Amino acid sequence: MSFSGFLTNLLYGITIGSAYTLIASGLSIVFGVMGVLNFAHGSFVMLGAYTGLTIMNVTGNFWLSLTLAPLAVALLGGIVERSMVSRLYGKDVPSTLFLTFGLSMVFSNVVLLIWGGSHYSIQLPSYFKGFINLAGMYYPKFRLFVLLFSCALVAVLWLFLSRSRWGLPIRAGLHDLETVEAFGIDIYRVFSVLFIICSGLAAVAGVIIGSMRSINPMMDLDLITVALIVIVIGGLGSFKGALIGSLILGLAEAFGAQAAPGFAKFTTWVIMALVLILRPKGLFSER
Amino acid sequence: MADTESIPRKLQSRTIIEAAVLLILLLLPLGSGRLFSDFYIALCLRIMIFGILMLGFDLLAGYCGLVSFGHAMFFGTGAYVAALTWKYFTDSIWIGMLLGLGLNAIIGYVLGLLVVRTRTVYFIFLTFAFSQFFFVTANGWRLIGGTDGLTGIPAPALVPGVSLGERIPFYYFTVAFLLIAYWVARRIVNSHFGRLLRGIHQNEERVNFLGYNSPLLIRRVFLISGLFGSVSGTLMACFQPFVPPDYFHLSMSGEFVMMGLLGGMGTLVGPLMGTAIVIFLGDLLSSWLKEAWMLCLGALYVICILFSPEGLAKIIANISATGFLSRLSGRKGSTINGS
Repeated sequence: MSFSGFLTNLLYGITIGSAYTLIASGLSIVFGVMGVLNFAHGSFVMLGAYTGLTIMNVTGNFWLSLTLAPLAVALLGGIVERSMVSRLYGKDVPSTLFLTFGLSMVFSNVVLLIWGGSHYSIQLPSYFKGFINLAGMYYPKFRLFVLLFSCALVAVLWLFLSRSRWGLPIRAGLHDLETVEAFGIDIYRVFSVLFIICSGLAAVAGVIIGSMRSINPMMDLDLITVALIVIVIGGLGSFKGALIGSLILGLAEAFGAQAAPGFAKFTTWVIMALVLILRPKGLFSER
Repeated sequence: MADTESIPRKLQSRTIIEAAVLLILLLLPLGSGRLFSDFYIALCLRIMIFGILMLGFDLLAGYCGLVSFGHAMFFGTGAYVAALTWKYFTDSIWIGMLLGLGLNAIIGYVLGLLVVRTRTVYFIFLTFAFSQFFFVTANGWRLIGGTDGLTGIPAPALVPGVSLGERIPFYYFTVAFLLIAYWVARRIVNSHFGRLLRGIHQNEERVNFLGYNSPLLIRRVFLISGLFGSVSGTLMACFQPFVPPDYFHLSMSGEFVMMGLLGGMGTLVGPLMGTAIVIFLGDLLSSWLKEAWMLCLGALYVICILFSPEGLAKIIANISATGFLSRLSGRKGSTINGS
């Protein structure tokens, strides 16, 4: 592998990793604070991608699909949280996983009924097509945008968690929910807001990934698997863990695809199993 | 306890129900082609084959409380090994089954050493990760068919000359295995070991305080549970002469969890009912609703988790609180009286 080839792979790995962060951090925070392991998180990514596709096809405006699709999915997330997930607060984590697994089945079927089984891809506007010259290395323009945009969003999310009025109870909730409640904070409202934000973020990732790769009815399982591996590697409930786990996975995917094309996914599973065996609670566990 | 006197009566009524179900299973092929089409025999076969796996699943998930999200690995391995044996070595079903059991015992032993370190969600993740290994391997390995899976598997023979390719002999063969599996599972549940498993579910620390080695018990039940899955996979390879890598897929493992939860885990009978419901409804709905059937099944499952997390066996038990089913699903009596 040449040096510039290595750099391209490295950059691609980081790009993919940054998109994964949008998915995994939401999954991880929802788990850490609410004790809900949301298997339907992958469905939110997929629904975001398909809604974005439809908005793009109707309006032809990429920015509209990047904003409206997440809003729609966030609304759906709110409905799911209020009507179903909230009934399981305080129960054991596996039962939330089983509930959301059922939901993901329902959503994937809805997608199949509305959009059919074919593969799609969101058509990018012309200014995102082609390559950009980065110090002698040619890199697709859109991937660069994905990298910058995802990093910006992750930074906003981090600021929200660490600096805002809402972030404090969320971070406190990671450690001790009862005390947070004792301070007179309506923790269930925090839960709802959190769930809505995280489903919206998942949908943003859906639109982005749907523009880089194909949109198909199997992508929910693919991506929830990735996100689960990420948070298992990073440690359930840890924002930092989700960040680093995503990077590890993105890089493993970028380099693994080149080293052994048929077994690209194998590397990620090996990493996950190794981490689980050596550090059963992940690298940066908060719970 | 007031329960104690009525137990013989309840046990008796359970035996009656068991005998009735067995009689129906035995007589069912007689009506095939006359009263109803052969389709129902195939449906019943699939329920029984998956039922064997679910009995093992229940030992691990229901009694010991460790839900496996990767049970498809045992099922798929059983199917693949048997199919490869029949295709390339010999057509004896016994050798195929034994080789499958052997490999699954090794898998169950080795993975047991690793998964035993984890509990609850982490146990789910680890079993899920390992089963995904198998899925990726089966998909990528050309030698065992790759993404196409194994096709053209010859029908195995019971003894040389007696083929199990015929539907009716295979049907009775499966009934026999379901019966054996049910008997073994029931024996395990009622044994000292079975009570320790329930103990681990309720309070693992206390089991250890009593001087038992709970990791060893968990490894044991993990392995046993895998062997049930192996038999089930072997029978499936015989029932359907092609083995796709999808047998290892996450949705397969997810379906097992769904069957268990719908029926009610920790009851042996519950998961069997769950299997019957999922497979029967799956077939019924897919012929009525075409593509929308998964939606209905998923919705039913969601409703079940939200409103009756104990599953169907518990609902029925609550309706006939004094009947035989309370004996089957009631944790109350069984631990104290031992039966």
